Amino acid sequence: MRKVLIVDDSASMRQMVGYTLRQGGYEVTEAEHGQDAVDKLQGTPVDLIITDLNMPVMDGITLIQTVRKHPTLKSKPILMLTTEGLAAKKEQGRAAGATGWIIKPFDPEKLLQTVAKVLP
Amino acid sequence: MKIDLSQFRQAFLQESAEHTSTMESGLLALRSAPDDIEILNAIFRSAHSIKGGAGSFGLESLVRFTHALEDLLDRMRAMEVRATEQVIAVLLESIDVLRSLLERGADGILSDSEIELVERIEAHATAQGGPQLAKEDSAAPSTSHDTEPPSVHEPEPVRYKVDFRPKPEMFSSGTNPIVLLRNLTALAQAATCELHTDELPPLSELDPERCYLSWTVDLITVKPAEELREVFEFVDHIADISIRCIDAVESAFPSAVTQMSSMSQCEASTPAPADRSLSVSAPAAMAFSSSPGKKLQSKPAASTESSSIRVATDKVDRLIDLVGELVIAHVMTAQMVENFAPECLPRLRESVAAMERNTRELHERVMAVRMLPVGTLFQRYARIVYDIAQTTGKQITLDTDGEDTEIDKSMLELLGDPLTHLIRNAADHGIETAEARLVAGKPEHGAINLRAFHRSGRVVIEVSDDGAGIDPARVRNKAVERGLIVAGAQLSDDQLRMLIFEPGFSTRDEVSDLSGRGVGMDVVKQNVQRLSGTVSLSSEIGMGSTVSIELPLTLAILEGLLVRVADRTLVLPLLSVVETVAPSPGQMQRIAEQGEVVVIRDESVPLIRMRRYLGLPEQAAAQPGRQSLVVIVENGSKKIGLVVDELLGQQQVVVKSLERHLHKVDGLMGATILGDGCVAPIIDVAGVGAMNLFSLEVPINVSEQLMSAVQSVRVA
Repeated sequence: MRKVLIVDDSASMRQMVGYTLRQGGYEVTEAEHGQDAVDKLQGTPVDLIITDLNMPVMDGITLIQTVRKHPTLKSKPILMLTTEGLAAKKEQGRAAGATGWIIKPFDPEKLLQTVAKVLP
Repeated sequence: MKIDLSQFRQAFLQESAEHTSTMESGLLALRSAPDDIEILNAIFRSAHSIKGGAGSFGLESLVRFTHALEDLLDRMRAMEVRATEQVIAVLLESIDVLRSLLERGADGILSDSEIELVERIEAHATAQGGPQLAKEDSAAPSTSHDTEPPSVHEPEPVRYKVDFRPKPEMFSSGTNPIVLLRNLTALAQAATCELHTDELPPLSELDPERCYLSWTVDLITVKPAEELREVFEFVDHIADISIRCIDAVESAFPSAVTQMSSMSQCEASTPAPADRSLSVSAPAAMAFSSSPGKKLQSKPAASTESSSIRVATDKVDRLIDLVGELVIAHVMTAQMVENFAPECLPRLRESVAAMERNTRELHERVMAVRMLPVGTLFQRYARIVYDIAQTTGKQITLDTDGEDTEIDKSMLELLGDPLTHLIRNAADHGIETAEARLVAGKPEHGAINLRAFHRSGRVVIEVSDDGAGIDPARVRNKAVERGLIVAGAQLSDDQLRMLIFEPGFSTRDEVSDLSGRGVGMDVVKQNVQRLSGTVSLSSEIGMGSTVSIELPLTLAILEGLLVRVADRTLVLPLLSVVETVAPSPGQMQRIAEQGEVVVIRDESVPLIRMRRYLGLPEQAAAQPGRQSLVVIVENGSKKIGLVVDELLGQQQVVVKSLERHLHKVDGLMGATILGDGCVAPIIDVAGVGAMNLFSLEVPINVSEQLMSAVQSVRVA
């Protein structure tokens, strides 16, 4: 089963995304912010990272940059999860190395489609 | 597949309530540090999270409201709008509206005053700074993509040629071109894929992290071109893509077999990015089959009042570990019992001891799950103090300490109101006006201190202020006036001050609309006593007052004194037991108006014969060598003696509520199950005392109720 790491400081958002992914047949792990995600990635291999951008401790953009610089994780697909459909935010995420994005509030089916779109 | 997210609504609401509290305390903290970017960020994040979730549940008003808030906060974050007192006041007002909107849920339509508030928020957002921030994504919570026209196309196959030329840096976005090709061909009825290797450098110059390959896909599909373009939605910045419609399908199109072989061909020749091999394991057309068709069960929506507890994961992990150990210990024990031989006895003892250790620890840890830090409660008081300061024009700060101190969740909830009373009282009655303080040589700012700490196995919560203090002389006058004491009663200053906790007492000549009509303090005392706690007060004129509430850590377990009455075993909470005495017959007297009393050290304590109280047969009169035993219990400041037949010992008992089985019974706190499996009622000392205060005769139905309660527990 493919594994997805959800990074969001909002527990309800993690629950909702997690639930949707489990229904879609994925295994889900959760992290509360970028640093938590980096820590969890050390021990657990994942196939995809879905991350919020606005988070305490380490924000999503920094997380993306960190992963992209990591010797073994650098080519992991990363979807950013954000309410900001702003071109600027999107560009910032892209520049950092995000693979794609999911816009909150998300439609569950659309989320699964997007995940399938980037998962090997 | 339809996925229903409404089951998370409750979690969202709960979380949003926490977010509003975070915002509130952040805003209050901002008053003394208006430029603190960390605080601003935290407030912004909270508003942002509420907005994000609100859209998922169709809470339109909430989305609209938080959008305006977020806008203002964003500009504050960007230092374009300063956190002035006015801005903070508007934001605090918004917190109340947020709470109300969260409560109202989907029916929440912004009232006129709320719309007016939105306008004021917007005015602040635009007033100080430059032009309004460009917000491309407005509050519209609907789905994000407008590129999905309802395709009622006639399914006529069309042939496309798709050129896909990734830029060398494609891999740096975590994009796998093979996945894109797979997704593209999944849309096709048939496809051929041509790989271009003309950019591929000699091996010595090849950088495995760059993409040198490009593809041309020739495909036949009934899907519209937009859908093909969708596949490349995320890569338009790192690839050149062109999709050309060639013409209607010619018959001589390669078969699916060719498609498969050509796919595997392109897969073989793609250089892998550093850490993984790119592989497409199934024919391209099956790319979307990875989601198992799990049936969705839609759970009934959680009831609004469902009480939930948030527990740190490590606490739960430890519980699981312990259960694991317990299971192992159990299996070992069971095996030994199964094949029992006398020489196994020491080992059997050992494993029973292990089980006991596990059970005890499990017990402790499970109790710990119910423990919550008092900080969650403390948060709300900053706002109360702020509001009082605003209305009275006083200058008051609230400092809190010991927020991490943990206490049972149910107690935490019941403590909310008493603490509100105490804090209002301190702010309203304790702290003087700024002028009065200056005259008294004190700093203009009054301080209220709220702290929690552990003291000898109990939790202490203290509310102190540096205000005027409580004048015992004034208390005396008031108490005499109210008929609480007789004029000239011999009472110490501390005893006098404790009178403010008596029903119907108010030291304020004029009733303030803030802290009620003098009903507050006695309610505080009652509530705390209900939690098996005690209240104490110390005060010095001109220096301030401190009210301490002392509470047991949890209500779910208590240290009990087991006593026998006839053939029944009863549990008395050890905390309320003062002493046990075996009085000589001369010590037991009957006094007019008080009934039977026992005289201990010149103090006469009213007696309750538990046999009579429970409607059990009286003990055979004056058995030789059999003395009555009296357990002296204390309820607040009143002592009562309970006459029992025998003391059985002291033991920790788990309190089981009876209210699940029948309504609340006065005089009964609950019941517990003893080691031998018997059910024993736990006596509520306050309840017993209250009933007996003026009449010796206990209404018979009390004892009936009590015993039937116990019966029903036994049955259940």
